[in-house]
Amino acid sequence: MAGIKALISLSFGGAIGLMFLMLGCALPQYNSQYWPLFVLFFYILSPIPYCIARRLVDETDATSNACKELAIFLTTGIVVSAFGLPIVFARAQLILWGACALVLTGNTVIFATILGFFLVFGSNDDFSWQQW
Amino acid sequence: MSGFLETMRCSECVDWGEKRNTIASVAAGVLFFTGWWIIIDAAVKYPQMEDFNHSYHACGVIATIAFLMINAVSNGQVRGDSYSEGCLGQTGARIWLFIGFMMAFGSLIASMWILFGGYVVKEKPLVYPGIAVFFQNAFIFFGGLVFKFGRTEDLWQ
Repeated sequence: MAGIKALISLSFGGAIGLMFLMLGCALPQYNSQYWPLFVLFFYILSPIPYCIARRLVDETDATSNACKELAIFLTTGIVVSAFGLPIVFARAQLILWGACALVLTGNTVIFATILGFFLVFGSNDDFSWQQW
Repeated sequence: MSGFLETMRCSECVDWGEKRNTIASVAAGVLFFTGWWIIIDAAVKYPQMEDFNHSYHACGVIATIAFLMINAVSNGQVRGDSYSEGCLGQTGARIWLFIGFMMAFGSLIASMWILFGGYVVKEKPLVYPGIAVFFQNAFIFFGGLVFKFGRTEDLWQ
């Protein structure tokens, strides 16, 4: 049952994050600019390097691995890009700074949710998440 | 209240020795991609050729190639204690790393040159693109150093 509770709380976190993102886009005082929706690509891309590395590396006795570290590096790059894109939008006066702040808040919540997903379901075997 | 913080022993509950490579990878990723976003920001803000000469982007490209070259060889290959010999062996790894570091230092020096020769000495009203080029190359350079030397290869065994 622990898996179910964690899943529900994580999906709540994801919904909150998406709400912040949509608030940053859709509020009329922010001119309803939908440019920040491009960070959705970063949300989708962010877990991919680590999933590839985990399938590629056989889990032996080594505590770390060059392939996994490259995956962490690339994941960090995607996360940094998700934060950099709205800031550049705001500096280019495409969106307002308030919308940028809302999108950054949404980014933080969403990436914390994704990290929580890996922490909760990445370690225990009984949920059979690792058999993917 | 005085004993409040004594129960929090962060260095003992988290084993930093095993996490070292992860932390170094994250730090290197933050540095590297922050550098690239700085230059993207400058290019978005100043699209005109007279504000920000487009050929200045070559500097960051060279720094990125140097980043890849530096981190493509492991320290074990340079010392010669890896199991497999590559196509050129230890000498090839050393020459490869030498060229990589030369390009890294070269791009850092070139970015300073762009900042001073292209903006400060000419007394342009806008200095920010030059500063952005310099910061981009500095961030990429230090990201490469962190990714190369912040990780330890003892954890791979």
